[in-house]
Amino acid sequence: MTTTTDIRQGIAVLFKDQPWLITSAQFVSPGKGSAFTRAKLKNLKTDQVVEHTFKSGEALEVVDVLRAKCQYLYNDGEGYHFMNNDTYEQFALQKSVIEDSIKFLTENTECYALYIENVPISIQLPTKMDFKVISAPPGVKGDTATGGAKECTIETGAIIRTPLFIKEGDVIKVNTEDGSYVSKG
Amino acid sequence: MFDIQTYKKRSLLTQKIRDFFAKNGFLEVETPIMTTMPGMEPHLNPFETKLTLPSIMTIQKSVAKPNRPQSIPLYLNTSPELQMKKLLGAGFGNIFNITKVFRNGEIGGPLHNPEFTMIEWYRTNAAYTDLMKDCENLILSLVGKIPKNLLTYQSQTINLTPPWPRLSTNQLFQKYCKIDLNKNRTFKKFKKIALTRNFDTKNCKDWDDIFFKIFLNHIEPNLPKNKPIFIYDYPSTQAALARKKKSNPFFAERFELYIAGIELANAFSELINPNEQRKRLKEEQLLRKKLNKTVFDIDEEFLSGLGSIKKPCAGIAMGMDRLFMLLTNKKNIEEVLLFPLNKMLNNL
Repeated sequence: MTTTTDIRQGIAVLFKDQPWLITSAQFVSPGKGSAFTRAKLKNLKTDQVVEHTFKSGEALEVVDVLRAKCQYLYNDGEGYHFMNNDTYEQFALQKSVIEDSIKFLTENTECYALYIENVPISIQLPTKMDFKVISAPPGVKGDTATGGAKECTIETGAIIRTPLFIKEGDVIKVNTEDGSYVSKG
Repeated sequence: MFDIQTYKKRSLLTQKIRDFFAKNGFLEVETPIMTTMPGMEPHLNPFETKLTLPSIMTIQKSVAKPNRPQSIPLYLNTSPELQMKKLLGAGFGNIFNITKVFRNGEIGGPLHNPEFTMIEWYRTNAAYTDLMKDCENLILSLVGKIPKNLLTYQSQTINLTPPWPRLSTNQLFQKYCKIDLNKNRTFKKFKKIALTRNFDTKNCKDWDDIFFKIFLNHIEPNLPKNKPIFIYDYPSTQAALARKKKSNPFFAERFELYIAGIELANAFSELINPNEQRKRLKEEQLLRKKLNKTVFDIDEEFLSGLGSIKKPCAGIAMGMDRLFMLLTNKKNIEEVLLFPLNKMLNNL
């Protein structure tokens, strides 16, 4: 028997005979029609990303994905190496498979490894993560061009738009799905 | 974070919108947020609340009854449309309204907040094509002087030089999907041709479901974004308050304005025949019942008001927050709102 699920972010589903991870799901309403869900799906085998709009309430078949805590070790040019925290088993993933997550990885970052039939195929970051700000331009009051925001660099090298009051050395919470600032940690 | 710079722009733009309508001879009206009879749109879900009646109050229907109701249901308006048309019936002429509207369940994405601001306006002695010109003039008046009418939104350049392209829904289905809606008016035929084109019709329960699923997957993402677009003449089933086309009543005189892929406004040549309107509201009541939604009474004051409208008129609703997103170059509706609901939910 197969299990089906509502479409929502973070779930692995079978779509067009392939396993996909739903990386984002948005509400869409044409007003004069019923509600729809516009989803971004990442193919867990090829890393191909597609967009598809499903009717709200439509269910997809669940792919059995095992999630295990792991940590990021290093990148040696061949791939990105991780370790399963329970079994200490190490594995490597290609850059293309984890492209969107790379900018939030630093040594020892804890995340989840995704396994299909015991093979590690991808990773998933916590939705919200804390990062130290390593460089922050001074906020200029009344700078209308930036709309009250500025660009800070966090410890992984990623650039995040933050409010003007964030200083170098602050710890900030970042949404890893869209790279947006959440709050001061 | 409260972004005062964006808010200053928003405040200034609101002022300019009021100036535009004043200059064009529109009267600003205010309609209530709460109502006893909300719109009947089958796919909109009003927030429901209750009015507590103190013991000194009776309502007409209950005067003779010993058990006076202690409360009556009230709804937050999903649109000011019914009230504004009552004012048209009362001879108010050209009117506009800037009001909050509420749609339950519409959350989770960059374009929706369950509470949002609507600019709604009506022209008497006019048809929907007159409103297309209003849209062009309004938005050009808001952007002010920009070189060559080129607006930049999220690295997309949009040429605002009028007239903006107009494409009918059937032209779009033919262009992007090789489907002629006129030849596929039944659910069975539409589904069959969708399947031969390899389009997903999973979970589609009626003709309109297939229409939207194809539209959202194969047309909307491919609409040109370098110019605003008017999509016009929607199937009549998706325009219960609009006048059907004389030449082909399968379609109604309704349009939507898209800019940079964002649906910004929805407009009709108004249906002002009370008998036909009653028939179509009854169909919507049936559909609401079928969808297990609260069924509302037909607003008789609205229908009798329609009977007093002597000249053809046209009305339009424009999402003001989405308009501000475009004009202040913001990706998410939350960035132009001081208190987006999603942020409040995050604090729970």
